[in-house]
Amino acid sequence: MVGWSGRKKFFTILAFTFPVIIGILIFNVYPMILNSYISFTDKNKFKPNPDCEFVLNDLLVPLCWDVFKENAPVGLGKPFTVAEPWYKNYQTLVGDLFSIDAVMALLTIGVCLVPLFGASVIDKRLERQESRSVPSIVIWLAAIVLGILLAALLNIFAAYDTLMRTGDFFVVVFRTIMFVILRVPLSFAIGLILAIILDNKYIIGRNFFRVVLFIPWAASSVAILMALVWQFFFRQQGTINQLLATFGVQGPVWLQDPIYAFGIVILVDVWFSYPFFMLAIGGALTSIPTEVYEAAEVDGASWWNQLRNITLPLIRPAILPAIVLTSITAFQMFGTVWALTQGGPIQGAGQPGSTEFVMVYAYRQIFQTSNHGLATAFAVIVFVFLFGATLYSLRVTRITEGAYE
Amino acid sequence: MIRKPSLLARFIYYAILIIACIVAFYPMWFAILASGRPGDRLYALDLPSMFFPTEWTWENYRHMLFDDLLLTWMLNSLKVASITTIAALVVSTSAAFALSRFRFRGRGFFLIFMLGIQAFPGLLSLVAIAQVLTAMGLYANHIGLVLAYTTGVLVFATWNLKGYFDTIPIDLEEAGMIDGATPLQSFILIALPLAKPALAVTALLAFLVGWGDFIFASVLVPAPDELKLAVPALYQLANELAVPWGHFAAGAVIILIPTLIVFLYLQRYLQGGLTLGGVKG
Repeated sequence: MVGWSGRKKFFTILAFTFPVIIGILIFNVYPMILNSYISFTDKNKFKPNPDCEFVLNDLLVPLCWDVFKENAPVGLGKPFTVAEPWYKNYQTLVGDLFSIDAVMALLTIGVCLVPLFGASVIDKRLERQESRSVPSIVIWLAAIVLGILLAALLNIFAAYDTLMRTGDFFVVVFRTIMFVILRVPLSFAIGLILAIILDNKYIIGRNFFRVVLFIPWAASSVAILMALVWQFFFRQQGTINQLLATFGVQGPVWLQDPIYAFGIVILVDVWFSYPFFMLAIGGALTSIPTEVYEAAEVDGASWWNQLRNITLPLIRPAILPAIVLTSITAFQMFGTVWALTQGGPIQGAGQPGSTEFVMVYAYRQIFQTSNHGLATAFAVIVFVFLFGATLYSLRVTRITEGAYE
Repeated sequence: MIRKPSLLARFIYYAILIIACIVAFYPMWFAILASGRPGDRLYALDLPSMFFPTEWTWENYRHMLFDDLLLTWMLNSLKVASITTIAALVVSTSAAFALSRFRFRGRGFFLIFMLGIQAFPGLLSLVAIAQVLTAMGLYANHIGLVLAYTTGVLVFATWNLKGYFDTIPIDLEEAGMIDGATPLQSFILIALPLAKPALAVTALLAFLVGWGDFIFASVLVPAPDELKLAVPALYQLANELAVPWGHFAAGAVIILIPTLIVFLYLQRYLQGGLTLGGVKG
């Protein structure tokens, strides 16, 4: 029993996990700390190197360490140090969100969403009753109508305008969330339809269809090249407009129009991601025993009822993790939108373009304006968001269930 | 869903499938058509040649393979991605084994901690990573790129392999234990051979991270031309002022085809949900 228990066990575990721990500490944890530190400095294009006289710089920034000192780029402007005041970058990013107007506007929007939360609570409670008195669609419709009424009453557009004027941060995050909200259900729906059709054993050539329909996801590993091909379609002289021209229609300049550009980014990203859902749902569908459907047939359940009351509830546990994970990745989407629009079209100088999502914004801050302090502060805030989302997804997906047993 | 669908239903099903297939395949087909079109035209001039290769030349392929640096770029990508894969697997497999087989204090914390770290998007840590690599003198260097990718893959690979080790029955190793096998022997002689499928899938997915990445490669190795990786190099080619479209299309097809084949091969493993936790769409 050598090494399986006692003091030896400790050393065995250490030896097995040591490389991963070191790797994570040096290239994950340390950059996160350094990143958080830089977010409090005024590092930018003109101040690329640390001021090593300053204690925190000397401690945290590797270019100040004796081992690495000779690798520092020389002759590049002034040294950077802690910003004045130290929270300046955060103030620039989200400061205006804490003004009285903005908080009121946020509250207004929150109030308009209350009916929806209420609906979900009531719906859950009714679900537990044996014979439910009100069908869920009525509750949801009522909630939506109530929400719209509230929105009209409280003048939600004014609130939205106020928030949009609080600076880049709200604009960028809001657009990204809109993108996620539109994209994920769309890829889910397309994936579901295709998976259900392909689950039908009377369809000839299922394997062929499966392979061809899988291509977009395969191409998504080199997303930026494939998205470029899509961009060719939507150029002014592109394929879509050529096709339209054969019908005598003069196509618009798709990617210069904010609304069209947004739609096209969603379309192309749906194209990349629906096979993932198709695959995940397909796997879940095969695990549903056919007897359930046979019984439903005997009871005379319609196709729609079977879908709503058998298929969807039964694939739910398998699909929920996929939806949560996809939402998190959609939030971080970069390659597709970069190749398509580079975040544009831009409507005004100094404003984020209409498809400038979180990652594109960060990328532009880092590499086009070289505003590292601001970009790292942005990274810290986004990380807080994503960390919350990840923790939530862990609860939903139960991926960590095995971790504690 | 069980009885044979009616004729109308089947007609609708096939119509949906065929339209979906055309949409799924046309962008790829467009790139293939453009790669064989003479005269550096990106678009076809008439309707038939938008869908069929009415004229064909291998000139673009010849140029990309022999006159341009595509082969160098692809070799660079291959090199970086393979070293990343090997490094990530070597480091993460043993940790995954330990996390799956041993119960120790801090295990749960370690597993969750790794996932939490994963929430920090790679792009956003780029400023810090570039700073670290500059300090180490590894900027504009393939080794720096390998280090960056490897740590990006570590968490996913560890979790994925740990999940697979969990599904391997422990009986075999217990038998080995009784015969006096040390943990190291049990790991190398019993668990590793059994985990081959998971190792293969994890390796391929890790490989694709390095192979398809754009952000890290374009930022950490911006120059010179000979050191660039295939994807960012081709992307830059497409964004030059006078773009040789045929060349770009040929290069894209050369990179895409092997990627597609690898993925289509992977599909059967992915179907089982083996890697659902790690792969996102």
